[in-house]
Amino acid sequence: MEENRQQSVLTKVHDKDRDAHPMLSKRQSRRKFLQKAGGAIAAGAFGAVPLRGWAADAINIGALYPTTGGMAQIGVGCVAAAKLAVDMINEAGGIKSLGGAKLNLIISDNQSDTTVTRTETDRLISGNKLSAIHGCFASALTLIASEVCERAKVPIITGSSTDQLNKGRTYTFTPFARASQFAKAQLQMSKLVSDQPKVAVIFENTAFGTATSNGLKELAPGEGVEIVMFEPYSAGFTDASPLINKVKASGANALFSVSYLNDLILIVRTVKQVGLNVAINGGSGGFVIPDFYKNVGKLAEGLQGVAHWNHDMSADSEKVNVEYKKRTGEFLFEYAGGLVAQTYMLADALERAGSADPQKVREALSALDVSAGYAAMAPGGKVKFGPDGKNIYGRPLGVQWQDGDLASVFPKEDARKPLLKS
Amino acid sequence: MANRWKLLSLAALVIVPVALPQVVTGAFAQDIFIRILLFSFIGVAWNLMGGYAKQLSLGHAAYFGLGAYTSTIMQVDFGISPWIGMVAGGIVAMLASLPIGWLCFRLRGPYFTIATIATAQALMLIFLKFRDFAWGAEGTTIPNLGSSPLMMQFETKASYYYVVLGLLALGLVITYIIEQSWMGYYLVAIGEDQDAAEAIGVNAPRIKRDIYMISAFLTALAGTFYVQYIYFIDPATAFNFSISIEAALVSIVGGIGTLWGPVVGTVLLETTSALLQSWLGSSTGGIQLTVYALILMAVILWRPTGLIGVMLEAWQRFVLRKPARVRTSP
Amino acid sequence: MLETVAQAVINGLLIGGIYALVSIGVTLIFGVVKIVNFAQGEFVMIGMYISFYLATQFGIDPILSLFVSMPVLFVIGVLVQHFLIRRVLGPNDMPQIFLTFALSLLLLNLALLLFSANYRTVHTSYSDEALHFAGLYIPVAKLIAFVVAMILSLALWVFLHTTDLGKAMRAASQNRDVATLMGINPNRVFCVAFGAALALAGAAGSLLMPFYSAYPFVGQVFVLMAFVAVVLGTLGNVIGALVASLMMGIAESLGIQFVGADSGLIVVFAMLLLTLAFKPNGLGGGRVR
Repeated sequence: MEENRQQSVLTKVHDKDRDAHPMLSKRQSRRKFLQKAGGAIAAGAFGAVPLRGWAADAINIGALYPTTGGMAQIGVGCVAAAKLAVDMINEAGGIKSLGGAKLNLIISDNQSDTTVTRTETDRLISGNKLSAIHGCFASALTLIASEVCERAKVPIITGSSTDQLNKGRTYTFTPFARASQFAKAQLQMSKLVSDQPKVAVIFENTAFGTATSNGLKELAPGEGVEIVMFEPYSAGFTDASPLINKVKASGANALFSVSYLNDLILIVRTVKQVGLNVAINGGSGGFVIPDFYKNVGKLAEGLQGVAHWNHDMSADSEKVNVEYKKRTGEFLFEYAGGLVAQTYMLADALERAGSADPQKVREALSALDVSAGYAAMAPGGKVKFGPDGKNIYGRPLGVQWQDGDLASVFPKEDARKPLLKS
Repeated sequence: MANRWKLLSLAALVIVPVALPQVVTGAFAQDIFIRILLFSFIGVAWNLMGGYAKQLSLGHAAYFGLGAYTSTIMQVDFGISPWIGMVAGGIVAMLASLPIGWLCFRLRGPYFTIATIATAQALMLIFLKFRDFAWGAEGTTIPNLGSSPLMMQFETKASYYYVVLGLLALGLVITYIIEQSWMGYYLVAIGEDQDAAEAIGVNAPRIKRDIYMISAFLTALAGTFYVQYIYFIDPATAFNFSISIEAALVSIVGGIGTLWGPVVGTVLLETTSALLQSWLGSSTGGIQLTVYALILMAVILWRPTGLIGVMLEAWQRFVLRKPARVRTSP
Repeated sequence: MLETVAQAVINGLLIGGIYALVSIGVTLIFGVVKIVNFAQGEFVMIGMYISFYLATQFGIDPILSLFVSMPVLFVIGVLVQHFLIRRVLGPNDMPQIFLTFALSLLLLNLALLLFSANYRTVHTSYSDEALHFAGLYIPVAKLIAFVVAMILSLALWVFLHTTDLGKAMRAASQNRDVATLMGINPNRVFCVAFGAALALAGAAGSLLMPFYSAYPFVGQVFVLMAFVAVVLGTLGNVIGALVASLMMGIAESLGIQFVGADSGLIVVFAMLLLTLAFKPNGLGGGRVR
């Protein structure tokens, strides 16, 4: 039992008489017992995994990530980060304005599948009194979760980059860079390695790849970059050779690949096999996770990408990185680090709202304005939401693989290490 | 005595499903019921062709997807109500089943099955590639209209439940009518031995074509409902192979070629799957589907003709007190 | 331009060799046991994991680990046939299809459970090397895979046509009842067929390891192409499956090159449906050869 829990009216009024009213206290503890038991049974029935006590006023945060299915590695990392964030907040005393109430993380697996996302989001919301949700990594999945949250009027905060998440919604918040911004950054980075960049763009043909690549197409002329090849491809191919063959034929000197991990591995290796001399910018997604380096090895050195979050942004982010490394043995990657910041943003909103009610949390989130602390872990160090749920200060980072880790190299004010030219 | 049982069970059959969402109000449970009803319906649609006529199609997702896309395109691009779109989708599916049927029915056995898989996959690829008329691989969400019964969007889950209950009822009624008619006999004859059936004068190609159209039409209705329920459509979801598999699986597990087989199968499979997801879903990845697969294998190995046979036997033995039937075929 | 086409053909041919190993297994099982094995891709996956662990624990080159993965998968094949498939062999082919489908689901999720979803890669000295000549390049690892695949296919063909057991298998595939009357034990023949097919799948897995990463779902990627090749080449026809696989690899590669990077599969399916429209039993006709 916490020490600072809010006193209920009854005990406050009858405090001095508590010993004189044994019936009163018994009723209280019986009610508490029933609440706890009921909560335990409900949690068991719905398969929830509560992490921090069953006190009556814990605040429930839902986390929906793909821990099985095609995106499982990333999902597992995200869940580890989510747990870390909640632990950190709870150890620092929880939500003070709610009497030190702890955050209770309820995790669900969306199996990297659209339908499961739909039903799991529903289940999370209806089976628990949630104050907010964060998830789902893949843009396509997050869009669905956002639809459910909008209708259920529960706020969702996410690092997914598709611009569609900011259209016509009031309960969806995106503190980090949008797909269109990634595109601009990628184009500008290509000019760092060559004066006349001729870029081949290949992208996986679902929401993630299409959104980013459309941004590339639109902005290229304005940035003085020529796109010589622009091809969507079906993710999960058996062989990257035909695709790379085409890249070679196009005469490009830079390759932008917007892909998930398995294809990226093949693409990078095939480029080496072909002996093609192109600067690869792997975008975001599967490119900026430790697993990429593990599978591609030295070939990754010097490859550039973009990310909406990196652990070397600030002292705070490095601190979280150290903790995460202790728990998982790997560096804290983009999406996972971003969601730690998001959890802190939720905590900040809860503090200001003074309530676990999702609509009040939404109000508080829309008024968020931070520039210090863990909640402000973002490129540029500031987060403030506009009316469309976008962070008005949001921008991406250019990153580069150096020595098995990701270093922020672009733009100048965010660069923590110099760009390696090869 | 038997009459009273019959009346009671008939009454229960109508009252229980209708009253269920009023009694069990938890959204999680209601979601399971909706899934059960929906997949029973898809299974019933499949069963007409795959169960009675033994034409093992694993490409019904093609019609599911066509129905889903037709109604969504009509709704998002032209603002037409999905109720109309649903019927339109059914018609599109019926028309599509003609050329697909023409191609596939020339093939026998596993060739037929694989050809149906290929057509569903081909449709998925087409919808993935051509983003001009159908949003390509990104898919789209349907506009949030809040409570709008005329546009098939409801605030409460219970309303969706009743819609899909109606669909299932439709499917069962159609199956019953066909089963009891001359078409039903022809279907079974074709299923048992197509050559023999043709030899005694059954016009097999025409019957197969007709039942395929009906099956496609019904499956497409399910597709429309599905989009309205999950608010989202994209080619991978609409033409997903797992829909084709589930349509066949529930019928096989429950009892192919029977009226209630698909329903029995769906209740068992979906409940098992939901329970497993609930108990094991948040632990190590893969365990709930591993258990599910083991259960599935056990059922197939133990009773290849489907569990409804077991239930009927149990009913006969314990309720009606008849002696056990000798099983003559596996 | 010619160079591009030539390169596309080479790329397609090489990956076609892998498709061939997988599809020959499927067609062999279909020809002899008369069932469609939906789980074939998962056995490729098992082969890959075996090679991965041998490579990382003992430093054995994946190509050499063939000598382990093939026998192991042969034994698994015999066990699967004897304990599982045999029980659903009957006039009704639906339980068989769903049994192998459930088996596929089981293996996939067991792999997820045991190995997690992480990608496993093996880097050998020749993993990323290629031979370059006349402006064309041939990746070494894929070339080796292709050559070994052809050798194994040839070996299977020789086995089917010259050894007694092989002939017994062909006999059982042509007419099970008469073969039984001739004294051929169907179950034994089926066990060997299943074992051989799975051994080929295991070989495919080992050969893939130098240039493809292993993960639980890897089988699904290859099995689709394999199935199309099997149908195209006529179910049960080993040479047909081989030829069809190579053709499909080339068609896919050319499709990606000239139609669009997301059109490889469309071209392949178009090929399939067109072939079935005019030759309902596939290109090969209908006998096991």
